[in-house]
Amino acid sequence: MRKASLSLLALFGIAASIGAQPLVVQSYMSDEAPKNAFAALVAEFQKQNPAIKVTVNTVAHEQFKTQLVNYLTAKDAPDVLTWFAGFRMQQYAMKGLLEPLPESTFPGGSFVKEFPAAFKPAASYNSKIYFMPQSWYWWAVYYNKDVFAQYKLSVPKTWDEFLSVCETLKQNGVAPVSIGAKDTWTAGGWFDYMNVAVNGGTAHQKLTGGTVSYTDPSVLKTFGYIADLAKKGYILENAASYSWQEAVTPLVEGTAGMYLMGQFIMDSVPADKKASIDFFSFPKVGRPDYGVDTPTDGFMIPAKAKNKAAAKKFLAFIATKKAQDMMNVTLGRLSANMTGAIPNAEAERGLAMVKGAAFAAQFYDRDAPEEMAAKGMNAIVDILQAPDSYKDILTALDKERVRIYADLK
Amino acid sequence: MKKSIGAPPWAPWAFLALPLILYAVWVILPICQSLAFAFTKRDSIVYGIQWVGFRNFARLLGDPTFWLAIKNNIIWLALFLLVPIPLGLGVAMLFNNEHRGNKVYKTLFYLPMTLSFAVIGTIWMWIYSPDFGVLNGFLRAIGLEELAKPWLGDKRYMTGALVAVGVWRQVPYVMILYLAGLKGVPAELVEAAMIDGATWGQRLRHIVIPLLAPATVVAMTISIIDSLRAFDIIYVMTNTKARAAEVLASYMYTSAFGYSDFGYGSAIAVVQFLITLAFILVYIGRVLRDETER
Amino acid sequence: METRKNGPDARKTLLTLLFYVFSTLIVALWLLPILIAVFTSLKSMDEIMGSSKMWTPPKVLHWENFTRVWNKVGMSAYVLNTFLITVPSVVGALLVSSLSGFALAFYRFRLNKAVLVLFIAGMLIPFQMLMIPVFRLSDALSLRDTRPGVILFHIAFQLGFCTFFLRNFMRTIPFSLVEAPRIDGASEWTIYRKIIMPLSISSLAALGVLEFTWIWNDLLWSLVLIQSDSLKPVTLGLANMQGEFVSYYNMTAAGSIIAAIAPLGVFLLFQRYFISGLTVGAEKG
Repeated sequence: MRKASLSLLALFGIAASIGAQPLVVQSYMSDEAPKNAFAALVAEFQKQNPAIKVTVNTVAHEQFKTQLVNYLTAKDAPDVLTWFAGFRMQQYAMKGLLEPLPESTFPGGSFVKEFPAAFKPAASYNSKIYFMPQSWYWWAVYYNKDVFAQYKLSVPKTWDEFLSVCETLKQNGVAPVSIGAKDTWTAGGWFDYMNVAVNGGTAHQKLTGGTVSYTDPSVLKTFGYIADLAKKGYILENAASYSWQEAVTPLVEGTAGMYLMGQFIMDSVPADKKASIDFFSFPKVGRPDYGVDTPTDGFMIPAKAKNKAAAKKFLAFIATKKAQDMMNVTLGRLSANMTGAIPNAEAERGLAMVKGAAFAAQFYDRDAPEEMAAKGMNAIVDILQAPDSYKDILTALDKERVRIYADLK
Repeated sequence: MKKSIGAPPWAPWAFLALPLILYAVWVILPICQSLAFAFTKRDSIVYGIQWVGFRNFARLLGDPTFWLAIKNNIIWLALFLLVPIPLGLGVAMLFNNEHRGNKVYKTLFYLPMTLSFAVIGTIWMWIYSPDFGVLNGFLRAIGLEELAKPWLGDKRYMTGALVAVGVWRQVPYVMILYLAGLKGVPAELVEAAMIDGATWGQRLRHIVIPLLAPATVVAMTISIIDSLRAFDIIYVMTNTKARAAEVLASYMYTSAFGYSDFGYGSAIAVVQFLITLAFILVYIGRVLRDETER
Repeated sequence: METRKNGPDARKTLLTLLFYVFSTLIVALWLLPILIAVFTSLKSMDEIMGSSKMWTPPKVLHWENFTRVWNKVGMSAYVLNTFLITVPSVVGALLVSSLSGFALAFYRFRLNKAVLVLFIAGMLIPFQMLMIPVFRLSDALSLRDTRPGVILFHIAFQLGFCTFFLRNFMRTIPFSLVEAPRIDGASEWTIYRKIIMPLSISSLAALGVLEFTWIWNDLLWSLVLIQSDSLKPVTLGLANMQGEFVSYYNMTAAGSIIAAIAPLGVFLLFQRYFISGLTVGAEKG
């Protein structure tokens, strides 16, 4: 009897696996916390959809970026890819490599039923939607509260206050600003926040759009501020030796005071130290308004995907409040879904900061062509190491700008 | 050359068929494609070819990073010829005897060659780290604080630090080649040279080194190829951002995969290929000429 | 015990002593980085962070770092995958290149040198140059993300070096060993199979050790050609692990050591063939 039922089970098992539609998800979430959260999410989808057999392949983030074009153009492309909203997604949509998502894909019947209308432009190209947003987060100046308390520092609101905080920290042997410049993208935050603070959002959009010169006086002014920080010795010593995670350690241990970074910095802060780390809004530099970086992460379907029906089903699942909460509450990020729960008090404040902003960018390397952003971020790291020659560095960078944007046409 | 008695003329081709087909499809064809890509625009490889003639090559000439890469490759080449070859020879001579346990020494010394670059990169990162790194820790411990540097964070030391890792891996390789070469040298000659201390240097110069000339040629060839193709160590130790340590291979990779400019990347690869070829042709030409006919 | 004090013997003893002193010193110096990795792999994170002296041996041996990496990170599957790619690739590369090596070493024909140069040129190419064309080719042939696809590529890609190496070895085999059986009416295949291959064993073994190390340690080609986690080799697994456990030096070290065991084992196993097998290649260039 038992034997019979076992073989019956086996039979069903085989039948199920033959009938199951395969769904291949290619993911760059290789860091511990997001990887585990995503695995839990996929398990939930799997439970609800036994007819679909989900396989998740994880590729280290930097390697994923180099292979993306390969994934998109392969004959049997993966069905779902993790990616970013904005220019870096839109250029693939423009080349016809992505599958559009009809409004009916979204569980509520349309994009704006689930997500803020403000998210639509970065998820669309040519009035078609190609991107299912999952989570977003803010960049801000993270700081060590214990260190600030020890030296009786309060959160700086203006650039002058910021500089005086830096000076106090430096006097006390604490590196004012940590940055893991071995990963050059960490400099991208400085580029966005500094330039928006100095020149405002519209001017910043023109710069990432390639129509303003990097030697324009307004841009020189932005980089002058950054160079000034380096000249005054406010940047963590040997910053270029550290990856972004390695540079978190001095902040956590209190040998560095502040770190301009995305919310995901908290993934790398040990659980028992999380209470010591907090963030504040980038200081204002002579303008009444301020901007924020709010990169949006999510998913897209290659035009050559094998199993688009299942892929859309998966994306529809990802879009629901429940699924977004599963991922984002765990990680402390904000859900793209309007009804998503706000995970904690920290996120509450992050959201308030974003809502008060006059301008929101994705991120330097998501708003500008990758070569431009990569070279721009290299330039910033160079400036941090040789602040006196920042004008020469920008002159060289601008030559690249002219060529890169001309090449895109 | 003797006439090959009785061998049908198709015989070599029967043996060559399978290797040549595999090689042509998987290596020669892609090389030709890459050569062609060097004359195309950016990522037109992916989206439909647009020819741009020699524009990528013209851009190379005015690109400071390209010249930086050439300069760094020359540093790699010079250090790869100057350090691992004498050192590898020295170690090989040291181990080339009948003392008990010399096999253990040989085996242990060869260990670095069996490690993958990812592993090598991880280990050396711990050595070079500016604060907790072993190297700086050691320098501080012996009171040479001022020599403790951010080895991979400072433009001035980056290439040197990376070449050092390459040399560390290369010396065992060269040692093995010389050990193999020393098998062809009568042991008594080396023994004699070792025992007769007064003329040790002379014997080395006049007896051993000339006899090892073939092994030296192989060691040099491999060092030239490896130094001009240097990539993996740089790739793993700089988080794929070589910057001041850029060499041709890493710059090719950065251009093609970091900037999605496959046309430009292919042009860099072509230049690198031609430079390596120039070095090697001289050597191959000589070897093939010197070969006895059969 | 009788000790003789005459010159050469004393000198010999001194030389022996010097051999052990110098050999120990240089081996210790050279293996220091590896020793640090071994120590690190056996420490707890507290011990690593508590002292900046990574070169000190662990106070308590934390073997569980290895079991955690083996089980939790799935190293066991990665290691198995690597074997399933490496062994067929090495065997294939040796067999196929023995054919071309044989043809180029023993036949006189017009294009002999040209074919040889073609194989040598393949050794010189900056291999990153081939990443995109090879990806497209594998995709077009539906071999992308399959084990046979990676194996075929490795075999083809290693043919240049292997052919060059084996041809040089085979040229040292006296030509009469080919001519005599030919006169006796042996087929060309028999000569290859029954005479030349058995004579080439040590050379094949030495080459096999080198190839095993190279293919086992390959990272970039697996990255390009393999998409599924279920097929990934240990080098890619290690790369993912470094993202996942970036600040756990002990785990990363343990993973690195696990990844290095197989090529080391193969080297130890075939060691006695290794140097003698390389000899001729080195002599003849």
